[in-house]
Amino acid sequence: MTLPDLSDYFVPTQESELIDLLGRFGERAMIVAGGTFVHGLEARGLLSEVEALIDIGRLGLGGISQDAAGVTLGATTTLAELRRADFVQTDPAFGALQDALDYPPVQIRNVGTVGGCLAASAPLYDVPAALFALDGTACVRGAGGARDIPLNEFFVGLFENALRTDEFIAAVTLPKPAARTASAFLKLETNANDLAIINVAVRITLGENGRCADSRVVIGGGVGECYVRAGSAEAALEGGKAGGELFATAAAAVAHDIEPVTDQRGSEAYRRHMAIVYTRRALERALGRMVTGGTNG
Amino acid sequence: MKKLVQLNVNGDTHELAVNPDETLLGVLRNHLDLIGPKRGCDSGGCGCCTVHVDGKAVYSCMMYAVSAQDKNVVTIEGLGQNNDQGNGNGRELDPLQQAFIDAGAVQCGYCTCGVIMAAKELLDTVKNPDEDEIRHAIAGNLCRCTGYQKIVDAIKLAAAAV
Amino acid sequence: MTLSIIGKSVPRPDARDKVTGGKGYPVNVRLPGMLHAKMLRSPYPHARILRIDTRAAEQLPGVKAVLTPADCPQRKYTTVYFVPTDAASMVRDMLVMSDTVRYAGQPVAAVAATSIEIAEQALELIEVEYEELPFVFDPEEAMQPGAPQLHEHAEHNIAVNPVMEFGDLEAGFAAADHVFEGVYETQRVHTCYMEPRVCVVDADGNGNFVVHSSMQHLFGLREKLAYVLGIPESRVRVIKPPYIGGGFGGKLDIGYIEPIAALLSVRANRPVRIEQTRYEDFISTARHPIKVYLKTGITKDGVFTARYAKSILDTGAHATHGAEVINVHGAFGFLLTYRCEHRKWEGYSVYTNNMVGGGYRGYGSPQACFAVESQIDEICDELNLDPIEFRRKNAHQPGDPHPFVQGMHLDTYAFDECLTRGAERIGYAQRTPANTDAGHIKRGVGFACQPLWVSGCLGFPDIYEHSGAIIKLNVDGTADLSTAAMDLGSGQITTLCQIAAEALGLPMEAVRITETADTTTVPFDAPSHASRVTYSAGNAVLAAANVAKERMLKVAGIMLEADAGDLEARDGRITVKGSPDISIAIADVVRRAESPFIQVTEDGPGPTTVEEKGTIIGLSSTAPAGNPSPASVGFVEVTVDTETGEVRVERAVYAHDLGKVINPNGAEGQVEGGFQQAIGYALMENLQFDENSGACLTGDFLDYKMPTAVEMPRSIESIFIESNEPTGPYGAKSLSEPCITVPAPAIANAIFNATGVRIRDLPITPEKILVALGKLPSE
Ligand SMILES: Cc1cc2nc3c(=O)[nH]c(=O)nc-3n(C[C@H](O)[C@H](O)[C@H](O)COP(=O)(O)OP(=O)(O)OC[C@H]3O[C@@H](n4cnc5c(N)ncnc54)[C@H](O)[C@@H]3O)c2cc1C
Ligand code: FES
Ligand code: FES
Repeated sequence: MTLPDLSDYFVPTQESELIDLLGRFGERAMIVAGGTFVHGLEARGLLSEVEALIDIGRLGLGGISQDAAGVTLGATTTLAELRRADFVQTDPAFGALQDALDYPPVQIRNVGTVGGCLAASAPLYDVPAALFALDGTACVRGAGGARDIPLNEFFVGLFENALRTDEFIAAVTLPKPAARTASAFLKLETNANDLAIINVAVRITLGENGRCADSRVVIGGGVGECYVRAGSAEAALEGGKAGGELFATAAAAVAHDIEPVTDQRGSEAYRRHMAIVYTRRALERALGRMVTGGTNG
Repeated sequence: MKKLVQLNVNGDTHELAVNPDETLLGVLRNHLDLIGPKRGCDSGGCGCCTVHVDGKAVYSCMMYAVSAQDKNVVTIEGLGQNNDQGNGNGRELDPLQQAFIDAGAVQCGYCTCGVIMAAKELLDTVKNPDEDEIRHAIAGNLCRCTGYQKIVDAIKLAAAAV
Repeated sequence: MTLSIIGKSVPRPDARDKVTGGKGYPVNVRLPGMLHAKMLRSPYPHARILRIDTRAAEQLPGVKAVLTPADCPQRKYTTVYFVPTDAASMVRDMLVMSDTVRYAGQPVAAVAATSIEIAEQALELIEVEYEELPFVFDPEEAMQPGAPQLHEHAEHNIAVNPVMEFGDLEAGFAAADHVFEGVYETQRVHTCYMEPRVCVVDADGNGNFVVHSSMQHLFGLREKLAYVLGIPESRVRVIKPPYIGGGFGGKLDIGYIEPIAALLSVRANRPVRIEQTRYEDFISTARHPIKVYLKTGITKDGVFTARYAKSILDTGAHATHGAEVINVHGAFGFLLTYRCEHRKWEGYSVYTNNMVGGGYRGYGSPQACFAVESQIDEICDELNLDPIEFRRKNAHQPGDPHPFVQGMHLDTYAFDECLTRGAERIGYAQRTPANTDAGHIKRGVGFACQPLWVSGCLGFPDIYEHSGAIIKLNVDGTADLSTAAMDLGSGQITTLCQIAAEALGLPMEAVRITETADTTTVPFDAPSHASRVTYSAGNAVLAAANVAKERMLKVAGIMLEADAGDLEARDGRITVKGSPDISIAIADVVRRAESPFIQVTEDGPGPTTVEEKGTIIGLSSTAPAGNPSPASVGFVEVTVDTETGEVRVERAVYAHDLGKVINPNGAEGQVEGGFQQAIGYALMENLQFDENSGACLTGDFLDYKMPTAVEMPRSIESIFIESNEPTGPYGAKSLSEPCITVPAPAIANAIFNATGVRIRDLPITPEKILVALGKLPSE
């Protein structure tokens, strides 16, 4: 498959150049970071109107930094780089990220980027679900300046996000987790190189009394146009005593929040059932991490 | 419309005029006659096209050739060492290549070059990978002939040899 | 005499080339001036083409030829390589391009251009006006009165309807203590060879065609292409590739690509290449879905009294392999598997507006084995019989008349030993009843059998079964072997070289398969299919080697002043039996035969061998002496997560009577690869289509799921039983198909043993298990 309308492949070295290009080509511009999603679209003939490919690999947008407020992931940080980061490997609070980053095949991890997987806004991906559960925020820049979009507001539809055509993601920030926080992620897949039938990312923070002080339950895969933040499950967890019983109740509540689809990968009922089972298992996994895990916060 | 790119492939520098939407796989096969990377699906599903870019395994079918500008690309043809002993054996094989022969991990061979390139990154980064690590490292590569058992054996064999 | 090469895991001669790039694949073929072609495919599953306008496409710079149905010969053919096109058993219902579309994706036009991109752009400029017709995707609906009719010749869309009957079925059921009935269904799956279908065809302008293609049969492609084009076969020269990137039966028929490339090549007067995309490959060939209605009568102690089955095969838009798969399915999958006096089978190969099925390892047998072997376990469970004993009791016995090939017997037949040794290795007797394990992970063991199978096609009406070989010795003591047998990856080159080396007394490295064979230079060979190459082509190689050897020993006899009958060849030397000191290198013998009549050396004129002057060469073209049956049993251990329905195959043990192992490592590789395909078949693979448009929903590997290294069991153990078949080369029979047939029912039986849940339709997805466990509502 080729791009019949393509006029050029740009490799800007200044952000201003990028913003100009985005302004010039508007809807007909396509940012390329790792290109793995872009190629997927191209292979399905969905890019026939693209006139400009804009490679953002030489803007210096990569890199991971950490400070008192949390971590900042440059948009072109690859999934492999993120997976090697110390906090991902060791901090139970970032366990969801560690789990999610295990799923993509190495060939995708090596080129796929943090910004790319978010901007793709495909709820079938795993890493964004984890970033979402960790309260990530997209730091966006464009002709109108810079702004921050919490991931909560970032995904607005299937392949659709809150970016304006002249904007790009410069970085993603994750706030410093509270003490006694752990997270986990699970994906339902048919084989080890698959897109999620459903996936679940959870984060729990326990109070001093061992009760659930804060939580996030995010579900992806074919459960809606976007990732679903399962408010009912989070409400059920609130103030409860972390453990099997609470997790089972909270997981069951997920059913109210999702609207699974039926397609060739699974039926609505199956997805619903599995979202419940996986939510419970993910919560248990997170709690297990908290107990056995290393230092926190 | 064509873009001029400089590609460093297996240690040689090539200056090429390519279509901006040409993939690295297309350029390697069609412009540079490197047939090791193979097209099995063109969409990140089979791994037959796996090569290294700056030491990392990538699907060459999912990368624009232009974006490989100034990077070091290594295909299966770039593995191993030149053998100057003049004994007619040509290149000395990489331990992985030899292990694939010795373990009987090659059947139709269409997946082989891609699998070796994925396994190569594993052995470059992990000293003595266990069976699970090996299987996950090649999870992005499909093989329809071998059932993977002898491929896993070969990677273990090579790990022991390195 | 002890064997020195047969039975050894010698490395593949083609391995080094393959690990350094792989020059030999047809996908690499490039010819000077070559054009690239693309096909336009119908978006509708059933339609009449009213008008095609190609003018804009023709005007696009770089476009060199355009083809529409009006430009194609309207001679109906069948695609199947291993039968003559006009064989009575085949249905000739195909055209290269037709103005009736019968499945979504059928080619309706093609363009050859100077680049793939230009060809693709040109396709977009072709205007086609269709009249949509009512369509039918379900074969049983297609058989109903009033269903949309696909072909004029086929009433109720029934392409073929074979019936086979033995004994008196009614009497058999009357004699039964119990009668069991069940319906078993299998899905459409793809062979997933990794090298796409690709060809380059060069028409020379004088009516000759040179063809390169990734296919499983040189001579089949020659015959089919000549038939389609309406020219004598000798005008088509098919080049043998050194190897191809997998086939598994999926390249056992001429595609659209070869005739289309040929016709475009004539028009453009340049070579034309077509390489299919993975999506195109997915809609080019498949294992046929078959629904089996099974009814079985049994005595209270577990002996078959009557067996009846009706099988409905969805052949898609054209009959092609569907006309033959149905027969193999009925005969070797069902009727002949076990002893039973009263049996009947009815098969229906039914046209639908689905993609056309093809050949696939096992060829109809996996669909039947799933039904038969699942039902036997159901019977045993119901009647509390031991599943091993049940099969043993009903099995054919060594020495029985061959149930299919008249006049032959099951001389070597170690089915019983397969059962015993396999069961022992996996610990079948120690299995526990369903749901013994506490917790949600349940463990189970199961097995299934392919009691009878083939080593080639001897005895099958209409199917070619002969092979040929040429072996030529060189003065340096090496030999060149030429044959038309194709190496699909399964090691045919290696096996045939081993047989030649063993027979000639040469070291393995001394025998090479020539890379320059084509249909003009080597004798006919039937395709690489039906597990036939080792047995059948192996016999031909052995015959050719023996001819060469006879001549070689004659010359050696003259040189050693010994009787040729007293000589033996081994490790590159010829020795007088019993006198190891009197010997000569094979190289010297060949050199002598090839030398000038009088060769003057430092020592003066050398002696000559006038009587035996000439190249030491052996030629054969021969049919095998039989069609001995292998036997096989596959065991698996699974775990089932009853919360998620997920099944893992933890371990597999596979026992197979293959007569003689030629190459143990290669044989294991066949089994392990067979299990990969079969586990996919059992648990996940499924070609799915949009129910309104017929478009393929699983056209890439993100949607068509097959096992990666992660889903495969950590251990697949092969037990090879050597029954030493007297008609086989060094005792060999066949191996490669039953290992793909038995795992699916073995897995279904193991899932039942783990959970008490019986699934009768493939693939056994987690979702189906959850429904059966009552954890999900059924549809
Ligand atoms: C075979 C395969 C398997 C996969 N398996 C998994 C898996 O198991 N788990 C998982 O989580 N994911 C998986 N993925 C998805 C993968 O993670 C994403 O494709 C990848 O992360 C996208 O990043 P990229 O840099 O390649 O994006 P690109 O393809 O470069 O871009 C993606 C989209 O985002 C836009 N974009 C990119 N960067 C920016 C930016 N900075 N600002 C604004 N817009 C931008 C692009 O224009 C494009 O629309 C898989 C993908 C493939 C092809
Ligand atoms: S060809 Fe690149 S992954 Fe299949
Ligand atoms: S060896 Fe054939 S696909 Fe792997």
